[in-house]
Amino acid sequence: MKNRQPLFHVVKRESGSPGRQALAYVAAVALALAVGAVLLAVQGVEPLTFYKQMLTMGIPGSRYPWRAVENFIKLFVPLLIVSLALALAFKMRFWNIGGEGQFIMGAFWAGVAAMKLGETLPRPAMVLVMAVAGALGGGVYGLFAAALKVRFGTNETLLTLMLNYIALYFLQFFAETKAGWNFFLDPQSARPKFAKFPASAQMITIPIGPFNLNLSLVIALALCALIFAYLNYTKRGYEIAVVGDSPNTARYAGMKVGKIVLRTIFLSAALIGMAGAFHVSSAGVMSASPTNDVGWTGIVVAWLAKLNTAGILVAALLITVLQFGCQTASTTYPAIDANFANLLQGVILFIVLAADFFTRFKLVRRKEAAK
Amino acid sequence: MNDPINVLTLFLFNIVLINIPLLYGTVGEIVVEKAGSLDLGVEGTMAVGAIFGYLAGCAANSMAVGLLVAFLAAGLCGLLFALLTVSFQANQNVTGLTITTFGLGLYFFVGKGMGERWPAMAGSSALMDGFAALEIPLLSKIPVLGKVFFSQNLLVYLGIAIAALAWWYLNFTKTGLRLRAVGENPGAADSVGVNILLYKYVHLIAGSGIMGLGGFYMALNMSGSFEGSNCWINGYGWIAIALVIFANWNPVLAILGTLVFGFFNTLQIYAGALAGAFPGGLGWLNTVPAQLFKALPFIITAIVLIASSVHKREGSGQPAALGLNYFREER
Repeated sequence: MKNRQPLFHVVKRESGSPGRQALAYVAAVALALAVGAVLLAVQGVEPLTFYKQMLTMGIPGSRYPWRAVENFIKLFVPLLIVSLALALAFKMRFWNIGGEGQFIMGAFWAGVAAMKLGETLPRPAMVLVMAVAGALGGGVYGLFAAALKVRFGTNETLLTLMLNYIALYFLQFFAETKAGWNFFLDPQSARPKFAKFPASAQMITIPIGPFNLNLSLVIALALCALIFAYLNYTKRGYEIAVVGDSPNTARYAGMKVGKIVLRTIFLSAALIGMAGAFHVSSAGVMSASPTNDVGWTGIVVAWLAKLNTAGILVAALLITVLQFGCQTASTTYPAIDANFANLLQGVILFIVLAADFFTRFKLVRRKEAAK
Repeated sequence: MNDPINVLTLFLFNIVLINIPLLYGTVGEIVVEKAGSLDLGVEGTMAVGAIFGYLAGCAANSMAVGLLVAFLAAGLCGLLFALLTVSFQANQNVTGLTITTFGLGLYFFVGKGMGERWPAMAGSSALMDGFAALEIPLLSKIPVLGKVFFSQNLLVYLGIAIAALAWWYLNFTKTGLRLRAVGENPGAADSVGVNILLYKYVHLIAGSGIMGLGGFYMALNMSGSFEGSNCWINGYGWIAIALVIFANWNPVLAILGTLVFGFFNTLQIYAGALAGAFPGGLGWLNTVPAQLFKALPFIITAIVLIASSVHKREGSGQPAALGLNYFREER
């Protein structure tokens, strides 16, 4: 009999220490930037100059620094809301990777509301109607997958993945079909082109000096606080935690697991749909691909933050700095654009995923085998 | 030129030519999923294989080097996936999606960084010749079918051979059957002495490598022209994930599935030509929106997914432990 065993075995840690985790994050970001620096140097780009430009996002020395901040916010708000919403679903171990599709459906129905009712309603009412239309559009789309999961056990990862592309081509159909019934398009243009929304459907901004504060940022931050309270201080939030931990425990405790899943996924998808509505309303026009990959990036953010609400705020900020910074820096370095941000994002998450292992588990030396 | 039979032949020929990369991606993903791992990084893995395989193939002016590097580069993505999900117990969905984000980021970073130095495929005689059509004696003379199936390039036949080989491996070899046990019930496989770690690593790397070959194919089929806005892979990785389900985790059915999905994929390009060639029978094709053809693979897969969960069939090929990490201490 051979009796070879590895020298170490893996044991779950009782509890992770926050200090160790914080260290892992700082190390992950530093290491990713170092990997990026090597890649930049290979391309013949001075890494320090590039990083400086990336991290300052072209704000200092700009003649219109507030414009940069406004554009930053337009990128930040959808990512923040989508990440928060996805974390709700992930907490229940419902793998909603359909953020893209739910965002598109939200944007679509908000667009329908804007084009059909935009001329008749005053601005505050119109923005509210768009938010509700977007939330319902996204929410129902998510609920479809959740209902099948609850009723038949359909694999939600794969189903929501398919629904992303169905939504994308659905929207593209409206973007590319020139026809009399297609109220989305600009009738003046010979080629299919989205018409601008009526003025009342443009997102409300609060002027502070030369800077226009996008109302959706205020709403997104308020949502952060609300979701934090919902998860930590309400019965429904507690139910999400229990179902995520063990559906059987939840059932034993008399909770209606199916109902909780449906409710939470609807809420999650509705928030994503609302983010889609805010996005098109801020842009003032529909787009054939409105998501900016936020459904995917949101998963990265939620995971980086360990589904923790405050952590999501920080992680979403960090990822937006990476993306927006690379976008602005690319004006000086045409070879390097937002894709470099994706690359860095990937490296950061790889390192965090690996580091997680050492915060969740520990290696224990095997005892000498009894002779 | 507008001879209806010619249009039809060209349409059928292109169904095979354009869509074989789907087969590579699907067979690769089947091998990975049979080990119990759901890798959503197909798109990124194919992109990494494509760009490094193409650049190496051009630099060495060799088809073999291109194929080898594509396999290895994509295999490294598989190694990364295995390291994170098998050894470090990271979540498979998140890891796979990150490989896609990272892989596409790397693809564009390398491609754009090459700038003027980007090699043209025309400059590499080996790649041009290697991707040229090979007419199989006698068989290629059959009307229509000869052109469609027996006048394709070498990589088409290689893809079909790999699919057949994978089917034989999974069903008739000892290691293949053990691999399926790992995907169905790793705890049980472990207890009878199967080395789970080794099986997962080897098959995750090999499966990803096969995806990389599909990426290399796409590079050659696009004549190696790099565009800053569109990746060569163009969503094929995601369709491949769908095809795995459609093919019920069977590599031979994947060949059939590739032709079915490929039919719709190619129809959107040829709808106009076909409607023109057969105005009586196929004129209606002009009225179908192109976006519907693009969405059809995903719609069909969604229906298959839902239908197979409603009727829990006996013969479903979905591995029971798909997507679940195996933690030995919790056996």
